[in-house]
Amino acid sequence: MDEKFKQRVRERYQRALQHGERFWPDSIYKDLLVSLGLFILLVGLATFVGVKPEPKVDPSDTAYIPRPEWYFLFLFEFLKFIPGKLEWLGAIVVPSVAVAVLFLLPLIDRNPHRHYSKRVLAISVMGVIVVQMVMLTIMASVPAPAPEQTAIKTMQMLAGLAIPAITLILLFIFSTMAKDPAAQRKSLTATAGIAALAIVVLAGGSAIPLQRNAPPKEEVAVAGTIAEQVAQGEELYALNCVECHGADGDVTVIQGVEGLDGKVVTPISSKDVMYAFTDDTLFNIINDGLSELGMIPFGTANGGELSPGEIESIVAYMRYTWDDRMELPEEQRVGGIPSLAEGEVPSYDVHIEPLAKRYCVSCHRAGKENNNYLMTSYDEILNTGDDAPNVVAGDPNSILLQVIQGHTVQGVNGEIDVMPPNGKLLKDEYIDMFVRWVMAGMPQTAEDAAAAAPAP
Amino acid sequence: MASKIYQWLDERLGFDDLYKGLLDRPEPRGTWWNTLGSATLFLFTIQVLTGIFLLVYYTPSPDHAYDSIQYIMNGVAFGWLIRGIHHWSATLMVLLVFLHMLRVFFTASYKFPRELTWMIGVLLLLTTLGMGLTGYLLPWNQRSYFATTVATEIAGLVPWAGPFITRTMRGGNDLSALTLSRFFAAHVWLLPLTLAALIGVHLYLIIRHGESEYPTEED
Repeated sequence: MDEKFKQRVRERYQRALQHGERFWPDSIYKDLLVSLGLFILLVGLATFVGVKPEPKVDPSDTAYIPRPEWYFLFLFEFLKFIPGKLEWLGAIVVPSVAVAVLFLLPLIDRNPHRHYSKRVLAISVMGVIVVQMVMLTIMASVPAPAPEQTAIKTMQMLAGLAIPAITLILLFIFSTMAKDPAAQRKSLTATAGIAALAIVVLAGGSAIPLQRNAPPKEEVAVAGTIAEQVAQGEELYALNCVECHGADGDVTVIQGVEGLDGKVVTPISSKDVMYAFTDDTLFNIINDGLSELGMIPFGTANGGELSPGEIESIVAYMRYTWDDRMELPEEQRVGGIPSLAEGEVPSYDVHIEPLAKRYCVSCHRAGKENNNYLMTSYDEILNTGDDAPNVVAGDPNSILLQVIQGHTVQGVNGEIDVMPPNGKLLKDEYIDMFVRWVMAGMPQTAEDAAAAAPAP
Repeated sequence: MASKIYQWLDERLGFDDLYKGLLDRPEPRGTWWNTLGSATLFLFTIQVLTGIFLLVYYTPSPDHAYDSIQYIMNGVAFGWLIRGIHHWSATLMVLLVFLHMLRVFFTASYKFPRELTWMIGVLLLLTTLGMGLTGYLLPWNQRSYFATTVATEIAGLVPWAGPFITRTMRGGNDLSALTLSRFFAAHVWLLPLTLAALIGVHLYLIIRHGESEYPTEED
């Protein structure tokens, strides 16, 4: 770079300044306008899209598939094309070289010209790389092809690795070959253009069928507020704890549980437990179990089914339900079993579902000994069971109503069914709720219940 | 009275010189593409401000990190807004840095006399990505935990020094409380200070050489 060249650059810049604008207010005005727009966009995104909730760390959850931030996705996808042994090449060498070239670009690119028509090589190379990065990001955001989808895998391989690599080599070769600048420009532009088009078509073509066959995304329920945590904890408690500890946590002798019958347990809803045990202690007991007392570990870290977040929800439920020092503000309460007014007809959605969830489904779900009577949905309550139907609209002698009131019923198989197994009946108000519901014809929704109610 | 106060302050602080030197400068004619850099700077400012708010409630320990963010989202007035802005602004910042870089590349603004401005810019890009990487772990949720596990594993692929780098990043063989506090320190002190210093040099160089003009046929 000689002095004459530098002088020419400076002179041209001075000329550009003559026909230019003022930094203040011309440029600043545009900058401020863009910043304001960005700020509005940010508030909008924060308000209407928000931050996706994620469950708490559970290092033992080996099934979790990690995904990097979107701006690392292209690298993540690129690495998939590199065989395992060469992983260091794709993960370390290629990115390092790319960053080094980027950093040293002003020293590497000795072409003194600035106009687009005189920088065809640089622009073609960058163009192909940008197209490759964008398409890699798109390929990474659709589901990965199955091992047997070889055609799609080949398309991705071509678009993500082979074509860009070959094109870059070709561009450099062509740039040294042709003597005539116009011909060179043409060959470079054509090569880059065709390559970019091929990358877009192949990557897009592979992404469309993958996206179409994508399984619907599973929503992970993450309890955010305390009220949601308590509601989640209530459900989990009913499924995991009720059999031994009872729906109200007051069981002292386990009954009707295989292998644990007759074991003495501490009533966990008692003031003793609530006041003596901290949240951490409760968490650890659920997570690790108490092997000497027969309680199995429930945490995933110990081979159980509950993630740390789920155990915390159970602890929150226990606290807010049994600890008289804790109270959830009324407006935050979700779920729970609403009480019935005089003459009100209960519905499945509003009353019976939470009631069944808390008191019944711990046994009346698939995989338990329950005469095949399941109670996890409206249809199951009406139609399942060895003695089905267990509920008949308007019939006070429905089997369900008989057993929950402590009457023994002889089933079709000749067995005498006793319910509930621990001999402890539901509270009168809940028995009444079931009775009123069956007598009114088992309305499912609140509207059905209102229609079934006698006119005042 | 007001003008007297202004004069007194100006004699000591030199507003007028600042105005002449920084704001009242001639510039080549620009387009909307020239706003990408200042937009990135704006987002950096947003990140600093919202970051300070988050710092008030955030606890960098595995036992409390997740819960402290739950508290920010549900317990603190407008905490969800501040965190939402911080989250989205981080995403947009990376996007804008990339776009800004592409603009500079395609207008060949990295050429004489602005070579150093570009190099500092590449360092700014790397530091911004580092902010994204370290910030990703701080919520201490499933995604952040496993993504960081993979990221530190990838760093371990460096020939010869790899295992050492992984152990240094993690503060041990596995992700632990030490990893969280290291990433936290990097995210709130080391990288932002680096970023601020580099931005200072970047801006100085821009003022020194002026914004580049769009190339014409004769360039």
